[in-house]
Amino acid sequence: MLAYIIRRAFQSVIVLLAVGLVAFSMFRFVGDPIEQLLGQERTVQDVERLREALGLNDPFIVQYASFLGRALQGDFGISYRQSRPVADIILERAPATLELAFVSGFLALTLGIALGVFTALRRDGWAANIIMSASLIGVSLPTFLIGILLIYVFGVQLQWLPTFGRGEVVDLGWWTTGFLTASGLKSLILPSITLGLFQMTLIMRLVRSEMLEVLRQDYVRFARARGLSARAVNFRHALKNTMIPVITVTGLQLGAIIAFAIITETVFQWPGVGLLFINAVQFVDIPVMAAYLMLISVMFVLINLIVDVLYVWVDPRLRIDGRHA
Amino acid sequence: MRTVLTAAILAAALPAGAAELRFASTTDPNTLDPNAGNSAPVFSLLGNVYEGLVRRGRDMAIEPALATSWEPIGDGEGWRFTLREGVTFHGGEAFTSEDVVFSYERASSEESDTSSWFAPVSRVEAPDDFTVEIYTTAPNPIFVDSIANWMMMDSGWAAANDAERPNIEQGNFATLNANGTGPYRVTERQPGLRTVLEAYDGWWGDDRGNVETAVFTPVQNSATAVAALLSGELDLIEPVPVQDAGRVDQADGVSVIRGIEARVIMLGFPHDRDTLYGGEGDGNPFQDARVRQAVAHAVNVPAILQTVMRGSAEPVAQLVSPAMRGYTEGLTGYDYNPDRARELLAEAGYADGFPFSFRCPNDRYLNDEAVCTAINSMLAQVGLDPRFETMPVANYWPTLRADEHDVYLLGWSPGTFDAEHPIRFLLSTPNEEKRLGSWNFGGYSNARIDELLPAIQSEIDDTARQAMLDEVANILVDDAAYVPLYVQPLVWGVKDGVDLVQRPDNFLQLRWISVNG
Repeated sequence: MLAYIIRRAFQSVIVLLAVGLVAFSMFRFVGDPIEQLLGQERTVQDVERLREALGLNDPFIVQYASFLGRALQGDFGISYRQSRPVADIILERAPATLELAFVSGFLALTLGIALGVFTALRRDGWAANIIMSASLIGVSLPTFLIGILLIYVFGVQLQWLPTFGRGEVVDLGWWTTGFLTASGLKSLILPSITLGLFQMTLIMRLVRSEMLEVLRQDYVRFARARGLSARAVNFRHALKNTMIPVITVTGLQLGAIIAFAIITETVFQWPGVGLLFINAVQFVDIPVMAAYLMLISVMFVLINLIVDVLYVWVDPRLRIDGRHA
Repeated sequence: MRTVLTAAILAAALPAGAAELRFASTTDPNTLDPNAGNSAPVFSLLGNVYEGLVRRGRDMAIEPALATSWEPIGDGEGWRFTLREGVTFHGGEAFTSEDVVFSYERASSEESDTSSWFAPVSRVEAPDDFTVEIYTTAPNPIFVDSIANWMMMDSGWAAANDAERPNIEQGNFATLNANGTGPYRVTERQPGLRTVLEAYDGWWGDDRGNVETAVFTPVQNSATAVAALLSGELDLIEPVPVQDAGRVDQADGVSVIRGIEARVIMLGFPHDRDTLYGGEGDGNPFQDARVRQAVAHAVNVPAILQTVMRGSAEPVAQLVSPAMRGYTEGLTGYDYNPDRARELLAEAGYADGFPFSFRCPNDRYLNDEAVCTAINSMLAQVGLDPRFETMPVANYWPTLRADEHDVYLLGWSPGTFDAEHPIRFLLSTPNEEKRLGSWNFGGYSNARIDELLPAIQSEIDDTARQAMLDEVANILVDDAAYVPLYVQPLVWGVKDGVDLVQRPDNFLQLRWISVNG
């Protein structure tokens, strides 16, 4: 078991290094950061001085190596755009993204399971059919379109909810939260629906099909035959057994929610790391792009590692295969 | 009489109905250091916080600011400025000539992004606390015009906070904090998210509206900004996309304010290439003036302005807009005449056209990609064969600098608001040492223009100077060195009841804004 974990951890490190290498080899195609840093009246000397100071004259492999060396010591460099340490900026922006991801994930999970169970139990009911058809919209419409539609209806026409930003936040010193103010909570509604809609429909459809499968099983029939209440049969016996794949998918989707918050954050001007990344791409802010991409890949690799380890723990057959591989 | 006067003074000191203004623009200034950034977003915001010796008024004319008057020294040896007395920085320090000398050293230092403004300056002296003498290497009549964005910083504040030089790559105290003499002080700064400005009660001037607090939020997505304006969460947004302007104008409670910017959009040519970048075979047809003239006749500017720019922009035949100093009156460019274009191509021996590369940015100017798409088909209509490509500006400039282009799109906004500026940057033969032609990507070279430029720079007499500027403008038209297309429009969206002044440099001066009701 331990050997397996060590081997998987080693593989994860290689994946991370490869992601970094690909990222750094791509940065020069994003453009020249100097163009964004200096104004139109700059001189050739200004350009050369800055290029040298930022280490842009080095081959990308050297730039990558020095980034890794500093990153291992917790130093992600200084943002070209903001002239501030990247680590500070990311820590400042992370609460906005994490709170949004948390609320979206929570909405997706609770609504997804509830609607999934409902549509499975009332398979032929008109309400279930409407929900199933509507869920196609959630799967097929792009996020930015949903966001703009929500802004137009609830922000511009009805004026119930704010159209952009995070509202008032409370600064706890190490964390800023929008959960403690009315405007903060109101600001969360539209972006979290936009971000979580896809995941919600995904979970709903998954729960529904798993439920339909389980409801056909013999033990459910026997449970019914024993005269148990519908509630006990559906929720205690059937739903519990659909949860294993749902939890796996949700875990992996949590990573996706955080990583793909970029579009939602741009549409709602949500001050999180996704918006920071989009800005960084626009202004060729290499230190910010590098740190963001590395953090996201660390997150995905960690989630996958945990899931893999959990599988092995649950299923002993994988352990034996692992030893022979 | 006395009561009336007192009332007037009181009204000036304490504007009635102090208001809050929430405004948004697409780009956040990358720094609060007036020497670490040389771009419109930086100067627009800092223009409320810092002040120069001179400033631009509502009509862009130079007027006294921290200097009350100025005069030439001797026979064009430089300029002597008399400073305003009783001015204090936001931190409470008094403004004196020592601060001017310090600000000169800082702004002209190697680390600064504004050092090119001071290329003509040989030395700066402060004979007393309220007099400053700036000596230039040659007579320089437009020097005063060129320093409206040179902002005065307090030497003591900079020294105490270890910010005596700007630091573009690492940042320092002045990147996030500001201490100017202007009508507003920065009370909160979250880069990329939110900047709060509060009125400075100790400001020396009295020409101000009633904005007490101004909250600036950068909103990158124009659709988001428009929605926030319509829902009443923002009072002022800039820009409104031209395609949304009509809709915003019709909505209740908001209106659109249009103007023209200082920026001229033009087509550039590959003058100094032996063979075309995107061509086949030898030779460079664009070295023949008739081919360039054919391009000018082929582009239907009125149609582009009608359809792509929705009537918001103005056509132009020179490199500066009418609002700039040194604009040449009565100049006509090339009309839309596809038959004439075909004739010229045939005369030059290219009746069947030829392939070449046509490159454009897609995120730099208003609707740049759509404008270029239209131009591309217009060029094809007269028999030319452009290979059209668009790219983000972060890739576009390196491509042009690497000389990987034939025909390209360029916009130019003269920092000095004078016709001399584009001649120096776009028409002069490129010369790194003399800092000339640094944006002349096509390598255009004209001996007469190179000869006129130093004369224009040092001519004191306005009529003689204008005659030389007119000559350059005429050479540009005859030679079709560039094809100027139009002046980019300014389209702002404001909530009803907000009175403001829209200046062609697209700077937002909070002191000219009044919020009623």
